[in-house]
Amino acid sequence: MIKPLELHPKLHGVDHTARPTWKLRETVHFYRDILGLPLVHCISAKGWGREKGKHADFLHFFFDSGNESTIAFFYYVGTEQPPELAVPKGYMAMANHTAWRVTSEPESHGVNVSQLVQHEVIESIYFRDPNWYPLEITRSLRDVGEPDAVDAAATIEAAMELEACGRWTDIEQLWRNKVKFVQASQAQAQENTLA
Amino acid sequence: MSGFYVLNVPEFSSLVDAARKSGHCKVHPKRGHYQFVEFENEVEILRRDTQMKEAIWYGCLTGGLDGKIAHFDSDRLKLVATNEPILGLDGN
Repeated sequence: MIKPLELHPKLHGVDHTARPTWKLRETVHFYRDILGLPLVHCISAKGWGREKGKHADFLHFFFDSGNESTIAFFYYVGTEQPPELAVPKGYMAMANHTAWRVTSEPESHGVNVSQLVQHEVIESIYFRDPNWYPLEITRSLRDVGEPDAVDAAATIEAAMELEACGRWTDIEQLWRNKVKFVQASQAQAQENTLA
Repeated sequence: MSGFYVLNVPEFSSLVDAARKSGHCKVHPKRGHYQFVEFENEVEILRRDTQMKEAIWYGCLTGGLDGKIAHFDSDRLKLVATNEPILGLDGN
């Protein structure tokens, strides 16, 4: 059951995203000196009141990434990076990334970046920080509108149906399964026109 | 009736144009937010005719497909009519 919109939290964009680092100097150099994001806030605290061994003392510092958003890091004093927090290799781990918006064509500014990739509604360059965290800088090519939302709903409904059957293996199956949802959206649009 | 649906947004409009030029398709009028591009037995579309960048090309059937992909690489897309079930001949 989907709740009425007014009962959902009203969000106003990203305040900050955060991740751990074990490379304090390199991280500050990269974000502050190379990307030019101002260091705007830093918390230094004694383990948030927990016993030593339960929570390390730490720094939590923030770089301004525009539009009142920040990218933040935790540095846990005297600890080593647990193996499970090392960024895995391969494209799947790159799905976990931050994409910042710019208003002109994304440029490398001396950082080793990918080629400019043109997607449907954005164009982007991709790169990694000293912690190997994936980053993206992107420019919007057009606003998304009602056609995009209607299409997204059809795609996701078709996909969830295939996921539930447990035998979904390729995107062609999705494109074929989507037809009935697209046709339903067309019929709905026609009804709305006639109403 | 075999064909594919194209969402009415700028980045996919060149697919409709390329299909129209191929001479083997009938482009239906826009209905809702989609256009249906109908083909009879098969159709082949070249990426160079669409001017699409690769990242968009590989998603160009995202509007929905009533047919089967016979070939799809960075240069060429070939679609054929099919009666096979969506999950394959051993499916459903």
